Amino acid sequence: MSERVCTRCESPLEIEDLRCAVCALPTPVLTRGERPDETVAQILRCNGCGAGVRYSAEAQAPRCDFCGSLMEVEVPEDPVEQAEAYVDFTVTDAEAKAALGRWLGSLGFFRPSDLQAEAAVGGLKPLWWVGWMFDAAAAVCWAADSDAGAGRSAWAPHSGRFSMEVDNVVVPASVGLTAKECEILAPRYDLGRTSAEPRGHANATVEQFTVQRSAARKIISESLEDVARARATGHIPGGSVRNLRVSVLPSKLTTRHMAFPAFVLAYRYKDKLYRAVVHGHDADCVIAEAPLSWAKIAVVVAVVLATAALVVGALSL
Amino acid sequence: MGPWYAAAALDGSIHQSAALDGLSCEGCGAALNVASGERTAKCPYCASPNVVARPRSAGEDPTFVVGFVIPEDDARKRARAWIRSTWFVKTAFAKADVSDVRGVYLPAYLYSGSATVQYSAQIGENYTVTETYTTTDANGKTVTRTRTKVKTEWRSLSGQWAAYLDDVLVTASRGLDNAELEAIEPYDLRALRRFTPKILSGWLAEDPSRAVSECAELARQEAVEQVGSRLAAHMPGDTHRDLRHETTFQHEHGALMLLPVWVLAVKYDPQEPPVRMVLNGQTGAITGTPPRSWIKIAGAVVVLILAIALTVWMGARA
Ligand SMILES: [Zn+2]
Ligand SMILES: [Zn+2]
Repeated sequence: MSERVCTRCESPLEIEDLRCAVCALPTPVLTRGERPDETVAQILRCNGCGAGVRYSAEAQAPRCDFCGSLMEVEVPEDPVEQAEAYVDFTVTDAEAKAALGRWLGSLGFFRPSDLQAEAAVGGLKPLWWVGWMFDAAAAVCWAADSDAGAGRSAWAPHSGRFSMEVDNVVVPASVGLTAKECEILAPRYDLGRTSAEPRGHANATVEQFTVQRSAARKIISESLEDVARARATGHIPGGSVRNLRVSVLPSKLTTRHMAFPAFVLAYRYKDKLYRAVVHGHDADCVIAEAPLSWAKIAVVVAVVLATAALVVGALSL
Repeated sequence: MGPWYAAAALDGSIHQSAALDGLSCEGCGAALNVASGERTAKCPYCASPNVVARPRSAGEDPTFVVGFVIPEDDARKRARAWIRSTWFVKTAFAKADVSDVRGVYLPAYLYSGSATVQYSAQIGENYTVTETYTTTDANGKTVTRTRTKVKTEWRSLSGQWAAYLDDVLVTASRGLDNAELEAIEPYDLRALRRFTPKILSGWLAEDPSRAVSECAELARQEAVEQVGSRLAAHMPGDTHRDLRHETTFQHEHGALMLLPVWVLAVKYDPQEPPVRMVLNGQTGAITGTPPRSWIKIAGAVVVLILAIALTVWMGARA
């Protein structure tokens, strides 16, 4: 992509970076030749959730695919980055609907018995949500307690350091999906099935990168810390570990702009709308909210209380 | 390698926008800039009307700017609400005119860098022991009992810690000290934009009036504090003590930027200097030292003492 590199930490810089996404060093002003020739003229911005999606002329008074609110045309001030790689849709509309139906029937005892039968699944919206995918090198310092070398206490402090290389760490840039939803979806994509253009679904909406990468510095360093914590366990002596702390000094962070397929669905149960997200690649991954059956919960609580009373009564005899 | 501010002065980034005019306040000496051809009637810091044109001194243009989000009306409303919610202010101040809020872009340095730390500490690892002890029971007999007690075993630990610093902002204006800036921080730096003179149209911007070396010193202090608290959080164990560390700062850099603030100079008494309030132009956070009414405070104290005395007296009678 860009040949510009941060003079401090060697991370490649992007056109829209005002500061380095790793070390926050201000980037030099773009020369005329470096300016992107093709900037996105306009996007559609949701009034409800704030998501920005690719503008299309056909959409009259368009509704947001993420949340259903009205959208407006916006001309962004800064260049908007496009996804370089799209993970293909492999789940069809029908499969997504069926997956939600199956999920509704699998929730267990505390849900209404007629949930699967009565829920009216509708409003299926296929879309690509956006995220950055990072490769980076980092120097990690760790400190922790472990049972190795323990004296009177069961724990002894240890420290150490190592360097690591991380690949394909996904950090969501989606505004339309929640951080929680992205976190569940992200690990289940087959990154071997990507294309330079959207593939697998003709009518899917494409979310735009409306969040600056340098603004995501905090999220990036948090995800690197997560990886560092997982890798550190291999370096700590002993069997059990607690209070694991890490510091991470990243370098050479490279980023790819990715788009990930998913369906946003809605279903209605007893006059209430519920939102659901189905993975575009692995239909078994369904994230949704569902009603609880308060009648069943009340019965269980009553039974538990009655049993407890009986036991206490029997013991006091 | 020299300090960042020496390097910054050499890398040719110092240039002047022709699109700005210089102004100077004869009241407090603030050096201000306006977009070419614009004028201002009053100094935003001291409300003095004696603002005159001045030749612009050589200095660097800001690199970044965060724009105003809070409109003037809103700033005025927040100032009024803040005065109303503050206890025991002088009546004249509470009734003073707050309509004269002035937006100004405050010069500040956005400092960044990395820190490498060598530390040593005593780490406290807790354990419990069961003790037997003798005591006398209710009947006066001597009995032996057991109790568990938490004790701490101290182990020494040394190691390294290295990370990039989180954003540090320090004032570059003599008119506003760093404590005042900290009081209205944080600024959401996701709204950071590259500086263009265009953004000043209709606004005032102050020239940096603190020496860059002084700002670097302020930034370093904040960085040292940040490293101290992040390092303390890095320590394992149940507790720690004697945490000693040696820090090497590297890759330090400061970028001059402009921050939006609303300044309100309230003249409530011809005998007194105006009282200044400062509002974060992006978030609305507010700071200032309102003049307290000693009569009101004394009155409140007297009422409180009377109430306590009355309570005690009633209690004694009952
Ligand atoms: Zn960098
Ligand atoms: Zn929306």
